[in-house]
Amino acid sequence: MSGLPLDGVRVLDLTQVYAGPTCTRMLADLGADVIKVEGLTRVDITRNFVMPENNSEDDYWNRSGYFLLRNGGKRSLTLDLSEEGDGAGVDILKRLVAECDIVAESFTPHVMDKFGLGYDALTKIKPDIIMISLSGYGQDGPWRDFSGYGMGLEPAAGLSSITGYAGGDPLRTGISFTDPYSGIVGAGAVLSALLYRRRTGKGQYIDLSEQEAAVPVVGHALMDYAMNKREPERIGNRSHWYAPQGCYPCAGEDNWLVVTVTTEDEWRALCAATTNPEWASDKRFADLASRKEHHEALDELIAGWTRGQDQYEAMHTLQGAGVIAAAVLNPKQALLDPHLRERGFFDRVKTERGPRPVPHQVGARFSAFEMPSARPAPKLGEHNRDVLQGLLGMSDDELSALEEDKVIGDTPAPAVPLPVMRMFVQWPLVSYEQMGALGVIEKDYRKQLGIE
Amino acid sequence: MRASPVADSALDGLRVIDLSQGIAGPYCARLLADLGAEVIKVEPPDGDSTRKLGPFPGDVPDPEKSGLFIHLNGNKQGVTLDLDSGEGRAALRRLLATADVLIESETPGRTAELGLGFADVSGEFPELVYCSVTPFGQTGPYAKFKGNSLTCMALSGLMYVTGDPDKEPLATGGEPADYFGGLHAWVSVLAALELRGDSGAGQHVDVSCLESLGVADEYNTTMYAWLGAIRRRFYSRHHIPTYPSEIFPCRDGHIVVIGGATGFPLMMAILLEQPELEDNQLFQNLWLRTIEWEKFEKILRPYLMEHDWRDLLTRAQELRVPFAAVMSPQTLLADDHLSARRFFGEIDQPGVGKLPAIGVVFRMSETPLAFGAAPALGADPAEVAEASK
Repeated sequence: MSGLPLDGVRVLDLTQVYAGPTCTRMLADLGADVIKVEGLTRVDITRNFVMPENNSEDDYWNRSGYFLLRNGGKRSLTLDLSEEGDGAGVDILKRLVAECDIVAESFTPHVMDKFGLGYDALTKIKPDIIMISLSGYGQDGPWRDFSGYGMGLEPAAGLSSITGYAGGDPLRTGISFTDPYSGIVGAGAVLSALLYRRRTGKGQYIDLSEQEAAVPVVGHALMDYAMNKREPERIGNRSHWYAPQGCYPCAGEDNWLVVTVTTEDEWRALCAATTNPEWASDKRFADLASRKEHHEALDELIAGWTRGQDQYEAMHTLQGAGVIAAAVLNPKQALLDPHLRERGFFDRVKTERGPRPVPHQVGARFSAFEMPSARPAPKLGEHNRDVLQGLLGMSDDELSALEEDKVIGDTPAPAVPLPVMRMFVQWPLVSYEQMGALGVIEKDYRKQLGIE
Repeated sequence: MRASPVADSALDGLRVIDLSQGIAGPYCARLLADLGAEVIKVEPPDGDSTRKLGPFPGDVPDPEKSGLFIHLNGNKQGVTLDLDSGEGRAALRRLLATADVLIESETPGRTAELGLGFADVSGEFPELVYCSVTPFGQTGPYAKFKGNSLTCMALSGLMYVTGDPDKEPLATGGEPADYFGGLHAWVSVLAALELRGDSGAGQHVDVSCLESLGVADEYNTTMYAWLGAIRRRFYSRHHIPTYPSEIFPCRDGHIVVIGGATGFPLMMAILLEQPELEDNQLFQNLWLRTIEWEKFEKILRPYLMEHDWRDLLTRAQELRVPFAAVMSPQTLLADDHLSARRFFGEIDQPGVGKLPAIGVVFRMSETPLAFGAAPALGADPAEVAEASK
């Protein structure tokens, strides 16, 4: 095993929430030293999401599961960048740029310019700096100043126009799809810029629009419009290309199986594996075109078989016969899935409240190195001393003065008082359960996960 | 053929052999091509499987006219090789001798059977970055399962939380697991190249589309691992306190209604032209609005049905309320914003004509990205020989 690809690379990370931190988290796992900068009045909002046991006491902002996923393995520096801060934070930031290879930011366009930290300014401090801006709609164009939330960008990228039940409204994925998507695109853009710098010695500026990043997923539908002037229909879980394809109910409550048949061999295998050889000779299903035409009748027949099946057993039965099939796992089942377990997809991170499973941040295994995925997230301001003394050689007195002026610190100073924040941070889980937005809350989940 | 070679591109001088088929591997190779790598797509004699998949102009199947294939394979050169023959395998080895990266998507074990697995070629080509992109990865109980984006959506847990509570789980459109797999493969190949820059050594990269999609999970496994709660699909609604943050019908289509950090109560009341709503408890209290969402929607929906999406979007954004558009292929291709940013390029695809190129997903100040037509099927032996030099 060798070192990591980005050993020796340092990233100044001014991004917050989901897309930007996903980008820099990947760089951290690939070996970069990532310094995450937050202001005490502008703490990353994800420090408020998903508390162990839904508990918001004490320094809750250091315990968020959501924050850990995107920020594990980074160092935390607090700096007040606001106008009230007399520019001390911005000055420190400029000195840090000189020590970094990459600056990542996700402010609204022109905020960095306002700080005097635009790309041109940065190149005067560090000529070969690589800077990436991740924003909702990009740095120019009529929508550049739009406020872009992840929940809006998946529809804005066109993806929701092809997602939804047949005849129904467009729907979003149950995650902010474009955030992880553009975060990964950003990581690849930075790596490309690093390879270019390695060859030429030149840095550069990357403008990443989160709306644009995800448009390629709609590529086939864009091509259909360009070729045939046809807008897409929403088709639920069916396929444009194959039949049958669908999501079918299995034994038990809210258990499902997805099935796709792509060839005549697979069709015959499905009929045999479900012990329904008569389907294979049914004229309604004789070929792809007829199966598409009689999809509804076919769905009912397949559901008639799946309803009596355990979803995992049905997956193995069909896959064993050479048919594409998979159980629809809920998040708990995904955590316990034998394949993902054997692949080590979920690492175990040590936290103050015990070990917790976290997914690997890159969906790949490398033969030459192992990625350090299971590192905890930094506490707010945990590395203030480390960074300011280690990189900038500041004295103890200077640090004390910065603490006194609240330029640095370890406790958030949000616009709403902390007691109100503590209420906001506790989610109304019982109400969610009553609404049907949560299945159950299992008190013995740690036992079930084997992390007691 | 490459339409617009870029002199000083990010990946200048890099040669990639794209042996992969489908979506994930070819998308990875296409991103490398857009960044300036020379990508040689090696297809079996009957072509990449996506050549059989539409859309086609006029819905007439033609392996040279698949919109999906063209989208995924623009900017590459093409050769065909029959790897079941010794001659084909020898030709591939000659290509590998000149290559920096190999991308393949065969069922795990298949390249080893052909004597072309990582272990078989790494001795001869120690600098080669050998990237395998498959639905479930090279190891584990599902390694040889057949898979596609739908199976990955299902096993990742993401499908379970997408859709309506009283209906079956819903897959996201557009084969997202394949695109996520392609992106992770791309990042992984670049990381391996960066490491090779120091170590001089290539390596094997084993990409799983399931895991690439699974990483995208926002907080669903975390909700179980941190507090024992199993999230269910609920109109794609977030548990993160933001309600509403979803798509509603309006007079001429749909609009994404998001209150954001500062929208409630005042800005939303102004936007809905009913200032008295500022004092409504549903506007003042986030948790109440989240839990009694049906009452809130009785206020919201009628107003939306009397207004057009562009008007709603513009007025909301003027109030710094982050509404968003629900774009479709037609509106994307005609959009002023994307047009001002020159987002869509254009290629001239032989036999088809002018098509949008959807490659430039970010902009780099020093190294412009390239796009070009997809290769025709059919080996030109001279070209293979030329490529092997």
